[in-house]
Amino acid sequence: MIYLKGPDAHEWSLAGRLHQRADLVPFLDYGSYRIRYALAGPADAPAYVFVNGLTQYAELWDSYGGALVAKGFRVATFDLLGQGISDKPGLFIGQDDQVAVLRLLIEELGRGPVFLCGISFGGLIALRYAIAHSDRLAGLVPMSCFAELSPQLLLLGNALRTGLILGGTSYLQDLLLPMNLSDAWLGPQLTNLDKIKRQGWLTNDVYALQNLMESFLDFKPLTPQLSSITVPTMILNGEFDFLTPRALHETLRIEIPNSGLIIIPRAYHAFTLEKPQLTVDLLSRFAEQVLAEQWIGNRSIWIAPDDAGGPLEPFPDGYDHLRAIPVRGAAT
Amino acid sequence: MSCFLGPLDISGRLPPKQQTRIGAFLISAHGALMRQLTLALGMPSERSWLAELNAQLFRETEIVSLMLQATRWVPDLELLALCPSWEAAWLITPVPNIPDQTQGWIIDLAALGHAIHGAVRPAAVLPDGTPRDDAFAEALRRTEFESGRLIQAQILFLKSPEFVSMRDAVGAAVDRRHAQVRRLWREVLASIGVASEASA
Repeated sequence: MIYLKGPDAHEWSLAGRLHQRADLVPFLDYGSYRIRYALAGPADAPAYVFVNGLTQYAELWDSYGGALVAKGFRVATFDLLGQGISDKPGLFIGQDDQVAVLRLLIEELGRGPVFLCGISFGGLIALRYAIAHSDRLAGLVPMSCFAELSPQLLLLGNALRTGLILGGTSYLQDLLLPMNLSDAWLGPQLTNLDKIKRQGWLTNDVYALQNLMESFLDFKPLTPQLSSITVPTMILNGEFDFLTPRALHETLRIEIPNSGLIIIPRAYHAFTLEKPQLTVDLLSRFAEQVLAEQWIGNRSIWIAPDDAGGPLEPFPDGYDHLRAIPVRGAAT
Repeated sequence: MSCFLGPLDISGRLPPKQQTRIGAFLISAHGALMRQLTLALGMPSERSWLAELNAQLFRETEIVSLMLQATRWVPDLELLALCPSWEAAWLITPVPNIPDQTQGWIIDLAALGHAIHGAVRPAAVLPDGTPRDDAFAEALRRTEFESGRLIQAQILFLKSPEFVSMRDAVGAAVDRRHAQVRRLWREVLASIGVASEASA
């Protein structure tokens, strides 16, 4: 197996990474298309597979790779069809194709335990994989995710697509950054935003992003199929997630039998970028509990600690976790 | 080999040889679209697309004119061989597996436009720190931005309901043009010392 990430991985600039020699980058073949992927960690370790959000690229999981490998996991990252340096079909990218690509990648990992983790659009692809191949997974972690398009999400998605068409990738980033990240993160970065945006702008092509967005044109809700996901499932949702609010995660919690919902305090949609240490801690704890057969999902609701290592608190009894003010929940 | 154009000279300008090679390539590509749009505008069957074709024609003309004026031209003998090869690549050919040959030509024209507007990203090779007031750099940014708008017509056309039954053939035509245009663009960049993506 080829290992892409060497000891100096963190020193590579994104531009440099995107321009690596072709013979150093492993690709999966999906029909006539090539999918760039990277593996790190021992081949016999339990694996975490990360699925990117819409405008993301594999390098954004680098810090996760380092931390999880140090905790004894193997880590697989990749660019979806249409992203990063994977091939970008000109006109059509079906979500079924993304699931098929994910299946190919997971096949590369052998027969060991696999934990599948996806954020937003990637969370949806992970859900679709889990519906079709639940038996292949040890655990599932949908983050900032959804199984259906609420009217708000549908209209926001349409507006973001129009923004992309009229203003290009840069304008889409301008919309997503304040929507998905907190003031606490954005404040210190205000003078650096052009540089942060440039990396995403370089790696994303307008037509490819548009193809990914238009894969929702014939989208059918996954809700009726969620109950077929039988694996332990940890649902992660930022407290202030504007794009995919609590109600969308609630659908997952209700429908997936062995699930638990964990609310990340003071976090927005892109909490994986903002709180990587906390997220890594939650991921490793989840996998350890599942492997030790100690995970009890039971559709429970938890509040994550502010920082990695702290205790998870059960959501207070009697209060409605779907509200932003402390309202008593309906008796169940 | 660098991933970006440069190095910038003392006044922050890109090397004239790089400007000349890129300017010539963009003029060749967008000039070809300009000529083909002029022909398409004369086709009686395409009157429903008149407004869009007309807009595209003038945007392509603007890009060609802008590149002509913004580029610092220097003698480049290699262009004597490169330009004819580029021009040959832009020739429209009927798309395989499309029974109506005229439709096949139009699909290839749209696929070529999609590829030139989507696969060629001239602003993405500008190095950090290129001055905002540099005419050539601004022309590259403008070309890329306008390409992002122009490609919408090709997307709308190629994804239109009338081609649903030929979806695979149309998709393959677009991917073929993308592969061709990407290869040419990569070669142009490599010829002036700029490395392109790893998936080459």
